[in-house]
Amino acid sequence: MSAVVEISGLRKSFGEREVLKGIDLAVAQGEVVCVIGPSGSGKSTLLRCVNLLEQPTGGAVSVLGVEVTDPDVDIDRVRTHVGMVFQQFNLFPHRTVLENCTMAQRKVLRRGASEAEEVARRNLEQVGLADRADSHPAQLSGGQQQRVAIARALSMDPALMLFDEPTSALDPELVGDVLSVMRDLAEAGMTMIVVTHEMAFAREVADRVVFMDDGQIVEQGSPDHVIGNPGEERTRTFLARVLDPTHHHDA
Amino acid sequence: MTSPSVTMPPGRARMSPRKRARYSRVVQYGVLVVIVVAVVMGTDWSNMREQVFNLEAVQKMASDVPYAFVNTVKYTASAFAVALALGLVLALMKLSSVRLYRIVATGYVEFFRGVPALLVVLAFAYIVPVAFQVRFSSVTVTIALALGMVSAAYLAETLRAGLQAVPKGQVEAARSLGMTSGQTMRSVVIPQAFRMVLPPVTNEIVLLTKDTSLIYVMGLAVPDYDLTRLARYTLNNVAVGGLTAFVVVGIAYLMITIPLSALTRWLERKTGSKGHV
Ligand SMILES: Nc1ncnc2c1ncn2[C@@H]1O[C@H](COP(=O)(O)OP(=O)(O)O)[C@@H](O)[C@H]1O
Ligand SMILES: [Mg+2]
Repeated sequence: MSAVVEISGLRKSFGEREVLKGIDLAVAQGEVVCVIGPSGSGKSTLLRCVNLLEQPTGGAVSVLGVEVTDPDVDIDRVRTHVGMVFQQFNLFPHRTVLENCTMAQRKVLRRGASEAEEVARRNLEQVGLADRADSHPAQLSGGQQQRVAIARALSMDPALMLFDEPTSALDPELVGDVLSVMRDLAEAGMTMIVVTHEMAFAREVADRVVFMDDGQIVEQGSPDHVIGNPGEERTRTFLARVLDPTHHHDA
Repeated sequence: MTSPSVTMPPGRARMSPRKRARYSRVVQYGVLVVIVVAVVMGTDWSNMREQVFNLEAVQKMASDVPYAFVNTVKYTASAFAVALALGLVLALMKLSSVRLYRIVATGYVEFFRGVPALLVVLAFAYIVPVAFQVRFSSVTVTIALALGMVSAAYLAETLRAGLQAVPKGQVEAARSLGMTSGQTMRSVVIPQAFRMVLPPVTNEIVLLTKDTSLIYVMGLAVPDYDLTRLARYTLNNVAVGGLTAFVVVGIAYLMITIPLSALTRWLERKTGSKGHV
């Protein structure tokens, strides 16, 4: 059983401030790991250390058997196999939906125009936006844009998908469509690391939930354990806030 | 349950905003009319017709205007080509992680922004050929290099700002798809920066168009004359009405710069309507 992602002793500092304080985490093939935790606890930084959008200051990260913390790693090649979906979508506004999905296929994978388009259309179909291929991102709702961003990442045939709060920037009524695309993806066997505040989604889809606080993994395990019956006080406090935001808690 | 009747507290009576706006407009038009009348009445029209709007002088220079016009466009276009290429290199140097590149680029920008363009043209005409034992093949090459190098200093700042204005998330999205930094620059950053810098870049072309008049210091053969040089030549070679030449070339310059502005607006609309928020 080889791990798709293997993180050991990962540390990351921004200047003086240590944001990740020794993270150990392995994600197996086909596993869906949801990362939860308060804002500022280092969830995004952890995710970004996996595809090296942030350079770790210590520890080791290996992805698909490649040590990405090796200074001489060909990171572009690794990234080709690792899809990332951002909170703010980050679609290319000067390109159509279809072009968003074909650009990297053409330039990075050197696929021909017709093959790239075929792959892109198949993935747009999968996220329910086959009819919007010729639109520009600004003409779409946030939920549609995020689904295009997922299709764009899938068009590279990734072995691993990273999601950084993919629904946090969406109007509440648009969240469901994006989550259902992610659910389908999980069911199809995709290996996924998902940073999210959607507890219902995490409970239903995650194989494992990781609770982070202050740059450390406080607790991890099955969703029923971590969300349903957490062992740590910090996890309970956090969940109480997320699940009942109007209730006042003394810190 | 009767609500008390509420009235405005008494205050100084004054005009309503609508009346005030109308009054202000009347005053503004009035001032304009007074200025126009004063200028028209104060002008010596018969003298003007002879000196400045002299049809005979127009006819004399008519055959020369087309090639001078083409020369001005040619000098501007070639200088802009140099400016754009060099400006982009300088902008990328300014954003480089190599400190020496940043220092060199900053030094370049400070130098060429700080000296008059006229001095640079003079240097290219007389100093550079001696210093480096080169001979520029044509006036166009000389002026393109001289003005292009000056203009590049201004463009570098504009382009750098444009490149930096593209959100960081765009670069991250491209890189996370496996694109190299060069591919990201070419396919994602530069196309988006292009639209943002379009207005200031047009402005730079307009300035460049007018700066081509500095070519006069180079001592030109008649076929190389630009519009301004032609006007000076005409001034010296017609008995009366030489000033008319300046009116003619003034209009010729506007025939270059005004369509340029229109082109920019069109490009902005074309690239802007689709997708940019
Ligand atoms: N580029 C950066 N420079 C400096 N500090 C940063 C940077 N990115 C994140 N941080 C800091 O690191 C901490 C963790 O951030 P982040 O990983 O985004 O947390 P989360 O995603 O859990 O909200 C925060 O305090 C944040 O301010
Ligand atoms: Mg975050």
